[in-house]
Amino acid sequence: MHISEGILSGPVLISGVALAAAGTAIGLKKLDYERIPRAAILAASFFVASLIHVPVGPSSVHLILNGIVGLILGWGAFPVILVALVLQTVFFQFGGITTLGVNTMIMAAPAVFCYYLFGGLVRKRPGIALPAAFACGGLSVFFGGIMVGLALIFTEENFLKVSYLVVAAHVPIMIIEGLITAFCVAFLKKVQPEMLQK
Amino acid sequence: MKTFFVTNRHLWNRILAGVAGLAIFCMLWPGSATAHRVNVFAWVEGDTVHSQSKFSGGKLVKGGEVIVYDLGGKQLLSGKTDDKGEFSFKVPERVAMKMVIQAGTGHRGEWTIPVNEIIGVSELKTEPAAPVNNTPEKPLVQAPMPGLNGDEVRQIVEQTLDQKLKPVIGLLVETRKAGPTLPDILGGIGYILGLMGLAAYMHFRHKSAQIGAEKKD
Repeated sequence: MHISEGILSGPVLISGVALAAAGTAIGLKKLDYERIPRAAILAASFFVASLIHVPVGPSSVHLILNGIVGLILGWGAFPVILVALVLQTVFFQFGGITTLGVNTMIMAAPAVFCYYLFGGLVRKRPGIALPAAFACGGLSVFFGGIMVGLALIFTEENFLKVSYLVVAAHVPIMIIEGLITAFCVAFLKKVQPEMLQK
Repeated sequence: MKTFFVTNRHLWNRILAGVAGLAIFCMLWPGSATAHRVNVFAWVEGDTVHSQSKFSGGKLVKGGEVIVYDLGGKQLLSGKTDDKGEFSFKVPERVAMKMVIQAGTGHRGEWTIPVNEIIGVSELKTEPAAPVNNTPEKPLVQAPMPGLNGDEVRQIVEQTLDQKLKPVIGLLVETRKAGPTLPDILGGIGYILGLMGLAAYMHFRHKSAQIGAEKKD
């Protein structure tokens, strides 16, 4: 889901940077000290998740894990995803420096959105929490695909087609991430329920 | 700082275990292909440029759109990669060129061919009035004539060299870095831990300054 350098036009890049900067500022403000270690673990997980590939037809896609990052950190997902994306750009040449803002929005905005949608449900009893966690993991990827379509709307001109292509390629990832998110939530509820608190 | 490590010992153990587990997981994962960075590799053989494009991880770019520009940004030609991720074209002009591959949904890669690599094209071609199609089509089997001039000798040598170097180029194409290496991964995780340490340091500096101020009062 990383958009490479040299594809997007200036206004798209600039609005991406502005929105991502605003999100990161809110995230940093909400990220109090007690949450720093868990933010770091999640940043490390997000950073390496992109190396775990799932072959899909002619192409293949990788894990993203923005759902679980959003669920545990809320707005803190912005700074965490930004840091991980900077490192992915520098070390793996995924995405690009100029597209950092747009790429942060693509992955962090769905994370925060799903946090508001499912955060409350996940704190409830397991019967509701696990399906909600599954939906959170899957939908974060789905909305990520929609965001890619939105970002490319001015270059590839066909929003529906691009979104469809990206979302279709990520269907297996949605299921896998849903399962991972549900598994993490089940595990955290048993071992460290305070991780899921607001 | 010491009390922090003592009171949070489990947390630290868990963090370390988690990071180590993830790193091991990634090393063992049979990752073969990806959709991400697009790596282009192009080489010149005589008057033809060959190229191969791969996604980071080694998956070939099939049906990717290729556009060749000169360095001024003028489009020279375009085409699509075949099922092996390859695309070849005859050098249209003796100028430095930039190949751009668009593999769809935001994936893009590029490769620059400097002008000094394009040696197989006769110098005449740069003259504006020269006809477009004056490159020799099948000069490989030309018998060495007694009256060979310098240009012809050079062409024969270049063709032989191209043939001899083919396996070497093939090897280069094969062994190109396919994806992130272990040092890249560990380096990134190290940076994240470093940032966390920095945040902890800032926090405790702030806290100890507060305690110092309280003591003075």
